[in-house]
Amino acid sequence: MPESALADDTLATAAEAFGDLPIARAERRTALERFRSTASGRERPGRYWKLDADILAPSADRSHVAAGSVEIRNPDPRVVACDLLVAAEQHAARLAAVLGSTGVGTTKFGALATAFARLGALIYVPAGMAVAEPIEVRYVVTPGAAAYPTTLVWLEAGAHATVIERLDGGADAFVAATCELRVDAGAELTFAGVQRLAADATLVATRAAVPQRDATVIWSNADLGAALSSWETTVTLGARGADAQLATIFFPVGTQHVEAISSVDHAAGDATSETLVKSAAAGRGQARYLGNIRIAAHAQGTDASLRDDALLLSKNAHIDSVPALEIAANDVRAFHGATVGAIDDDEIFYMQSRGIERQAAERMIALGFFEPALARFPTEALRDELRSALAEKVG
Amino acid sequence: MSDRGLRIAGLRAGVAGNEILKGIDLTVEPGKIHALMGPNGSGKSTLAFSLTGHPHYHVSAGTATLDGEDLLGLSPDKRARAGLFLSFQYPAAIPGVKVANFLRAARQAERPGDLTPAAFRTMLFEKMDLLGMDTAFAGRYLNDGFSGGEKKRLEMLQLAMLVPKYAILDETDSGLDVDALKDVGDAVASLRASDEGRDTGFLIITHYPRILQHIAPDVVHVMIDGRIATTGGAELAHRIERDGYDAIRAEFGALA
Repeated sequence: MPESALADDTLATAAEAFGDLPIARAERRTALERFRSTASGRERPGRYWKLDADILAPSADRSHVAAGSVEIRNPDPRVVACDLLVAAEQHAARLAAVLGSTGVGTTKFGALATAFARLGALIYVPAGMAVAEPIEVRYVVTPGAAAYPTTLVWLEAGAHATVIERLDGGADAFVAATCELRVDAGAELTFAGVQRLAADATLVATRAAVPQRDATVIWSNADLGAALSSWETTVTLGARGADAQLATIFFPVGTQHVEAISSVDHAAGDATSETLVKSAAAGRGQARYLGNIRIAAHAQGTDASLRDDALLLSKNAHIDSVPALEIAANDVRAFHGATVGAIDDDEIFYMQSRGIERQAAERMIALGFFEPALARFPTEALRDELRSALAEKVG
Repeated sequence: MSDRGLRIAGLRAGVAGNEILKGIDLTVEPGKIHALMGPNGSGKSTLAFSLTGHPHYHVSAGTATLDGEDLLGLSPDKRARAGLFLSFQYPAAIPGVKVANFLRAARQAERPGDLTPAAFRTMLFEKMDLLGMDTAFAGRYLNDGFSGGEKKRLEMLQLAMLVPKYAILDETDSGLDVDALKDVGDAVASLRASDEGRDTGFLIITHYPRILQHIAPDVVHVMIDGRIATTGGAELAHRIERDGYDAIRAEFGALA
């Protein structure tokens, strides 16, 4: 069936079902139109991209009610951390202040997720408040569902907080996730995203952060699950003194495929960014990564770096890595470094010469490869959880 | 046992199709210190890598046994578990693998279950103290960003932790200052003074005789052009220091 015909029917039915929800009613309608009318560069036909129109939207048997669940752990009663529907009823103004504030809704799948936003969480930390314990959000997507998990975080000026977001479940599901991080002046947000969807899930994630003057966002993502995981992470450094530290891990194995884009926009001067990507592929795992750094003409005094290392653990594994630095200002520091390759023979031999078996040596080296990126994730418990998950993938 | 020793006979080996070792006969006896000296390019490191099984080196003829066990048919890790150790001239850096975890994995591989984690830590800190290493060293990534001296100290720490039957030290003295050189000598002496390490046989590969002031050799072999040109006592090292390799080559090169 042609994609447009099917999509129109299912989207119309779904839009009707979602029409009653009190979350941003007006925005939903325009978002749906935007989804329909937007061509997306990420909607690649053929080899890389095949989306069955049938799974693009919730329908009668892919009900929004049953799309999945969200579990929120809030360690501090002064913080608002609640389900999106509760947020719409009790914190409408705060919800409105974050939803759409980073521009994720302007992309095709960001628009789709906005149109069907229901499963989600709002986290709001008032000005000046420091929350020591991490706030945790965990989505479990229902098998076969079309789910649109929406994570909205707002740190007011001077606030400090750590958020851990997990995306689990979703056998044979389609997931269009969005994440918007609004970090006001002088605030510091540590955000860790851990994607461990079922091996046959399809994920399109659109995430963005906008740190303001002297604000810091330490943002780490581990993208481990799903058959196809296509994501775009954008940080816009909108004011002087803003700082972004991005760390990303992805690791396609078997027949998994990752399409990844990270973009750091230096829209203001005297801001700093550091992007670290550690990726591996095994089996027939495939990945394509595009790392953008854009420095606007007036963004003098920018300090930006992009470090991207890819490790190939089998002959049929493949990672394409494309850095793209657009620098329009002249008084900046911008660094880029990349490596792609297999484990070095001399490293394996060195470990073997200490009695360690070849397979164990490869495993230690492969796991060690991720450590610099793992070090950016908050809490030792989370790092250990990720080490176990990566160890499973190394096999 | 009559076949004890690291016994090398008629060994021919090379890299990328070029034969470098042209028939080596040499036996390192348990508890003895053998020095292997020779000019650059004579094949000393090739011998070290051929014995330990580096994948880029190929043995075309000859035998090598460790206390009677054939080495050449074994993978590098099995040779290590048989009791062979190589201190690398240029040890590999492995980011993300911590020194302590690596040493624990190596000790576990070579002597499974012989130390509890607590006993291992005690031993590790004791050996580090002996080598004048700060405890923070244990948490650093393996050789990652290490200075030349730190790398060699780490090799000596591994020697101390693994207590091999036979240890090959490949140019461990290169690039070291006098203090670091003395530490290497102390590490070897302290291993030899211990109960478990008194039978360890050493093959100390060096270009310069100066390390032999810190580690007195029982036997000195001189390698020239892929052959052992001559073998003698400590006086041979003194002669090399005085006359250089050319004199040895002139006297023995034609015979070798």
